[in-house]
Amino acid sequence: MGEQPQVGVFICHCGGNISNTVDVAKVRDEISKIDGVKVAETYEYVCSSPGQELIKQAIKEQGVNRVVVASCSPRMHLETFRKAAEEAGLNPYQLEMANIREQCSWVHNDKVQATEKATDIVRGSIERAKHLEPLEPEKMKVNRSALIVGAGIAGIVSALEIGDKGYQVYLVDRSPSIGGHMAQLSKTFPTMDCSSCTLAPRMVQVASHPNIKVITLAEPIAMRGTPGNYIVTLRKLPRFVDEARCTACGECAKYCPSKVGNEFEAGLTQRKAIYIPFAQAVPNKYAIDSGHCLYLSKGICRICERFCRGKAIDFEQKEEVLDISVGSVILSIGYEQIDPATYGNYSYGLHPDIITNLQYERLMIQGIHRPSDGKVPKKVAFVTCVGSRCSEEIGQQFCCKIGCMNAIKEAVLLDKSVPGANPWVFYTDVRAHGKGYEEFYADSRNTHNVKFVRGRVAEIVPNGGKIIVRAEDTLLAMQVEEEFDMVVLQAALVAPRGTKDVAQIFSVPVGHDGFLLERHHKLRPVDTSKDGIYACGCVLGPKDIRETTLEAMATASKVATFVGKGEILASPKVARVDSSKCNGCGVCLGVCPTKAIDKHDGGIIVNAISCNGCGLCVPQCPLGVLDLNHCTEAQLLAQIEGISKGGTTPKVVVFLEEETPYASVDLAGQTRLSYASNVEIIPVPSVGRVGVKHLLRAFASGADGIALVEGDDGPLRGNALRDYVAKLKKAVAPYGIAPSRIMSTSTTIPQYDKLLNFFEMLTKNVTNAGKVPGEAREKICKTLEEAS
Amino acid sequence: MKETGTNGRGIIDPSFLESVKKFPGGDKVTDCIQCGVCSGSCPARPWMDYSPMQVLRMIQSGLKEKALSTSTIWICASCYACTTRCPRGIDIPILMSNLKHLAMEEKVPAKIRMKPLFHKSFMETVQKHGRMYEPEIFMKVADKRDLKAIIHSASLGLRLMRKGKVGLPPKVPESNGFLVALRNRNGGKNS
Repeated sequence: MGEQPQVGVFICHCGGNISNTVDVAKVRDEISKIDGVKVAETYEYVCSSPGQELIKQAIKEQGVNRVVVASCSPRMHLETFRKAAEEAGLNPYQLEMANIREQCSWVHNDKVQATEKATDIVRGSIERAKHLEPLEPEKMKVNRSALIVGAGIAGIVSALEIGDKGYQVYLVDRSPSIGGHMAQLSKTFPTMDCSSCTLAPRMVQVASHPNIKVITLAEPIAMRGTPGNYIVTLRKLPRFVDEARCTACGECAKYCPSKVGNEFEAGLTQRKAIYIPFAQAVPNKYAIDSGHCLYLSKGICRICERFCRGKAIDFEQKEEVLDISVGSVILSIGYEQIDPATYGNYSYGLHPDIITNLQYERLMIQGIHRPSDGKVPKKVAFVTCVGSRCSEEIGQQFCCKIGCMNAIKEAVLLDKSVPGANPWVFYTDVRAHGKGYEEFYADSRNTHNVKFVRGRVAEIVPNGGKIIVRAEDTLLAMQVEEEFDMVVLQAALVAPRGTKDVAQIFSVPVGHDGFLLERHHKLRPVDTSKDGIYACGCVLGPKDIRETTLEAMATASKVATFVGKGEILASPKVARVDSSKCNGCGVCLGVCPTKAIDKHDGGIIVNAISCNGCGLCVPQCPLGVLDLNHCTEAQLLAQIEGISKGGTTPKVVVFLEEETPYASVDLAGQTRLSYASNVEIIPVPSVGRVGVKHLLRAFASGADGIALVEGDDGPLRGNALRDYVAKLKKAVAPYGIAPSRIMSTSTTIPQYDKLLNFFEMLTKNVTNAGKVPGEAREKICKTLEEAS
Repeated sequence: MKETGTNGRGIIDPSFLESVKKFPGGDKVTDCIQCGVCSGSCPARPWMDYSPMQVLRMIQSGLKEKALSTSTIWICASCYACTTRCPRGIDIPILMSNLKHLAMEEKVPAKIRMKPLFHKSFMETVQKHGRMYEPEIFMKVADKRDLKAIIHSASLGLRLMRKGKVGLPPKVPESNGFLVALRNRNGGKNS
């Protein structure tokens, strides 16, 4: 810091919102005495144009080079004041806000106490402001392309959208053809369109699109790089058929002696080891299943080679590993269904005519018949909620969202294709929530003779050629027992196997339900927590085709916005390392939640684009060579010291994660709920930024209790938070600080009640414990002096 | 908490749900989604006046009197077919048996006269002898007015005795630790 800090402090009356409770003049007089305060003023509305003018003047004319605005929450007006400062020629990161409205005047009634607290808050901000450094966001070029993992309907739609916008797309799927689950379906609800007729033209479009490159039989195995410049490593399995030469004539498969269950037909029929997944496959080329090919597994046969007229069979093909550079990634790996045999009462697997919904779809296309004897079934039971809506230990907790409508569609299809059909649907609650769904449900009852029984099926019992279904008709409060020709189970949708691996490769989080976790449930539903990586379709949770398409289009739009700008600005609030002192021990690598730190040249290097500025690494560095921009050791320690001095006793300092809990406390302020005025707040990027040193400094400067509050979605979650705080408590215990003086919790924004109860408990605990004894404080001061 | 009142379904006791939730396994009663698997699975369902699902609904709704006066709670044979299949993992038989206790405590007349008497006699006999003693239970339970039933039961008893299934006098278990513990439970009260 070359220049001497000259702080300008502007205290807002907020038209009485602040000044009715806080004696702003007294605050001004108190803080004017602080070293380095050049200007201290109060004003009716600092956010108004004349108010902003005051700030600009002070910067331009009075040599102020640090600004503190004591007013509302920074969530309200930080950007306003930063812009004003920037216009006056001050770096916006050298402006600090002291929240004396939401966290003071609105939540306290006693004028004396509120004024004392406001003084403490402003003092803390001034001390911090003195250490503020100018920061510039980093700019990086973006690779204008996208990789899409999973080529079902979600991947196909996003690929077309992004390709049409003019960006390069790589569409990757691990199977020999694109198409996904939708290619297997017969008709789709509620319009009864032919699924394959909707999908196939798009598959062809993808294959012939100049901006889209389809890569089949491939899956990602690693990713490196940064948002905008990712390098994804793919493993591409050999097809053993030369795509350029294969004409899909099918002679090879005619003679191939090895048979296996056909995945596309849901195991109902068999295919050969050399096969094409389905007639409309894209690319329309044969592939050899190496696990079942006699030559590849046992070294004999090679019959296909003899009969292939195009000489397309190539047993010499090897597995390839290729790197693809892209700006962003879309994860659309779809879903899987549970195995209904998990639940013994459905007797799945014990009778060939007890089938899953996917098997029924294939039977519909093959011409509906019973797998057991080939006869046309007339009376069919459609059973919903197989494995859905269960408690955690029993099955999937969520509603599969498509089961009801799918069952109704399949029942209607039966009625349409079989004369004298008698379809029954056993349901828990019909969830017909989409456009045209309720009407479709009504139509199924009125014109398609579908019988509905409200009751989850209790058991399914094979009985010779027939199948008995037992349930309670809960609306009649009577048991029903009926005999059916066939039973169709709507199995729950779950995240596909390998979701965790994919999540790990791309470092995105997986939710409690096993699906990928979006960044924000409502406002950022297709973003993952990692910039430039998006997800759409069923990998985020079960959904129907329409919703999947919507999400696919949304991701395409997000990708276009992200790569289209050409460059990205990265927040300068990132970790930094003093490379001259770093010994490369690597402790920080294990702590970093975004994998933004890499080993480099005997030391480490922090990637400014990947780093989210949580600061977890800083207190963990054994040498203390890491620091966090805009929340540096110097800034944080100064603020702690400033805020802990004076004020009401016993004094409680709360370190609040600056996103979720901070917003929650603001909300408590907006609701005008009251809490003890000795609770004073310091925002931090994560409570993991706070180390032993900071706690000691707080206790040394006058704090009697400390709380650490993280958001439920913050960087330190659940056990990690508990473990971290337990460690802190242990570390300060030798200084005579009882563990009861330190408390922690995690919260969500709407739970401000919980936070206020927490504050109440905290003040009670600290009041019971009393002031920190003088000798303990002395001991801590001594230690801190020795350390510095 | 809402005040006690009626809403056309019967007398609502708001504390009923809270007290059932304190029973072992009762905490899950609000997790019931009324799917009907329990009732569809129940082999004793045809003899019940209300389905197990409906009894759970009564608990959720605070319909104490109605729940305690169902025959369902007495007919439940604790076979656990319901719990095996319940998607929410609710232990319904244990709820039923707790409701039985509550009904006896609150002196709600049971729809089936035999049942509470049988339960009571069974517990008394076991507490006295440390094990089942059929002739005594028979003596306690038999309806003195129903001569035909007495003759039927007596002849069954004689046949069992001949095969050595039932003995006179009662057999006392070798170790009586469990018996003492059982007697001391609830201060020696029947429950």
